[in-house]
Amino acid sequence: MNSRTPWVRPLLATGVAAVFCLPLYVALVNAFKTSAKVVGSPLALPVPPTLDNIEQVLQRPDGLFWYGLVNSVILTTLSILITTVLAAMSAYHLVRSGRWWSRAVLGVMLTGLMIPPAVIMLPITRILNAIGLMHTMPGAVLVNVGYYLPFAVFVFMGFIRSIPRELEEAAAVDGAGRIRIFWQVVFPLLRPASASVLIFLGVWVWNDFLTPLLVLGPGAGNTVTVGIFRSIGPYQQDFGAVFAFMLLATLPVLAFYLAFQKHFVRGLTGGATKG
Amino acid sequence: MTHPLRSRPGDVAAGGVPRSGRPEPTAAPSGRTGGPRRRRTWTWPSAGAFAVFVLPTLTVFTAMVLAPILWTLYIGMTDERATRPNTSFVGLDNYGFLLGDEEFRHSLWNTVVITVIVVLLTNLLGLAIALLLRRQGRLYSLLRGVYFTPVILSAVVVSVIGRAILADDGLLNSTLVSLGVKSPPGWLTDPSYAIYSVSGIMVWQLLGFAVVVYLAGLAGIPAELDEAASLDGAGPWQQFRAITWPMLAPALTINTVMLMISAFKVYDQIAVLTNGGPGTDGTATVAFEVIRTAFSEQRPGVASAMAGIMLVVVSIASVTTLKLLQRREVNL
Repeated sequence: MNSRTPWVRPLLATGVAAVFCLPLYVALVNAFKTSAKVVGSPLALPVPPTLDNIEQVLQRPDGLFWYGLVNSVILTTLSILITTVLAAMSAYHLVRSGRWWSRAVLGVMLTGLMIPPAVIMLPITRILNAIGLMHTMPGAVLVNVGYYLPFAVFVFMGFIRSIPRELEEAAAVDGAGRIRIFWQVVFPLLRPASASVLIFLGVWVWNDFLTPLLVLGPGAGNTVTVGIFRSIGPYQQDFGAVFAFMLLATLPVLAFYLAFQKHFVRGLTGGATKG
Repeated sequence: MTHPLRSRPGDVAAGGVPRSGRPEPTAAPSGRTGGPRRRRTWTWPSAGAFAVFVLPTLTVFTAMVLAPILWTLYIGMTDERATRPNTSFVGLDNYGFLLGDEEFRHSLWNTVVITVIVVLLTNLLGLAIALLLRRQGRLYSLLRGVYFTPVILSAVVVSVIGRAILADDGLLNSTLVSLGVKSPPGWLTDPSYAIYSVSGIMVWQLLGFAVVVYLAGLAGIPAELDEAASLDGAGPWQQFRAITWPMLAPALTINTVMLMISAFKVYDQIAVLTNGGPGTDGTATVAFEVIRTAFSEQRPGVASAMAGIMLVVVSIASVTTLKLLQRREVNL
């Protein structure tokens, strides 16, 4: 295929990708069209483009977008920072101490990697009710931290095993305490792992639907992802406005992803090759 | 390693007991690990360090994952429901009820259908596209990015796009009507299409993940292997059978297990696309049924038993698949 017809592969690859892209294209162009044009010619380019849909989302009287955006930023930032710090500290201690109970703790935590959220949501709401954190931001942060800790610990665990102990030993000889050694020597070394964890969790928490839907609930306002769900009524078909809402809700996470892209793909493909 | 002078800090437990020796249950800091150098602050398993480094993680994990799992299993053995004033322990009655319950069996079947389609189709298409993109250059890295975009979108976003396109009066059908099709099918409302539409949307979203993992696997295959094979006269299909496919075993393992877990817990897509319909349970999955029964129908007992079954099935299925595929990796 390559020697005789070198144009087949690029053409085929581009053609397949174009078909794959069609839903994204439809969502993007129709965010800038009036409703009549969306239904009449969904595939046409938006000429001239209209910003009515975007304005309509930004100026919603119920503030669904802006409240959602603020809540998403707070929830995502707090959840991923706390998870990363807790996971790095505990993974470091558990890997380095090497005792049987450390391995037991790690083993129990790693079973948490495959627990479907639906299985534990009901007891979680009861626990949050009992400690007074139901329908609050701290409650939602707590749920996220608990749920994503196993993944973060798993990533840090693999990484810590690959870094030498000598630096820590040297720092200990110089009289540094355990906590100082961790923050000044170990944590900077863990930067690539921290980046992977932050980017994965950032995307997951931002995109999460079930947890904020049930835990944040109606009272405190909800995240922008739940806002998308609320902006579509059961029969509402104003596609232009819905696409505009989704575009605005996705831009922050898209920018975040593009900024840290290489960590994302590296973290994803770490185990895909035979060592 | 057992000699105190040669011991490294990590090899030595508190009180200078080597790792191979019996661990001291008290784990109190002894002050030094022995040896000429004084390492006062360097005794690993001390209660204080454990409290600072591990206890916060362990507490949150226990409160938000471990305890809820056990509590779910307990609630599943009670007859708790909103309409019943007193709750009592009923043992495994809920499980017995569920095994004969048409609605639950249907949701289990839906979940299996979605999982099988997602695992097979995503792996197949992901591999094909990865083979197509297995070249260097700006075009191919751009196309990789294209396939990966849906992976970082929310399932809610992808499902809303899917609904806008596939709804009865959606963009696909309005295009079909303008092309002269009299009564286009209800992609999400016709029971014979709905579950395949939902699965298709999931495949579309997860495809980029499989592509990236397969591309990484392909990048790990030494070029000499293919060159040697083609010198020996092997055709492309023989090369694929003898070299590419076996060398992709680790990528297949990752993709299959990850796709299985994602497909099995699917909730968001169902909530947005069909709300469990058409009918009461046309596309309802187990996860959807658990949430609906627990929160909308207020029947925590039955819902938790469903969650228990889900937990057992997902654990057995993913661990078995992982073991089988890993054994295949070793046997190469």
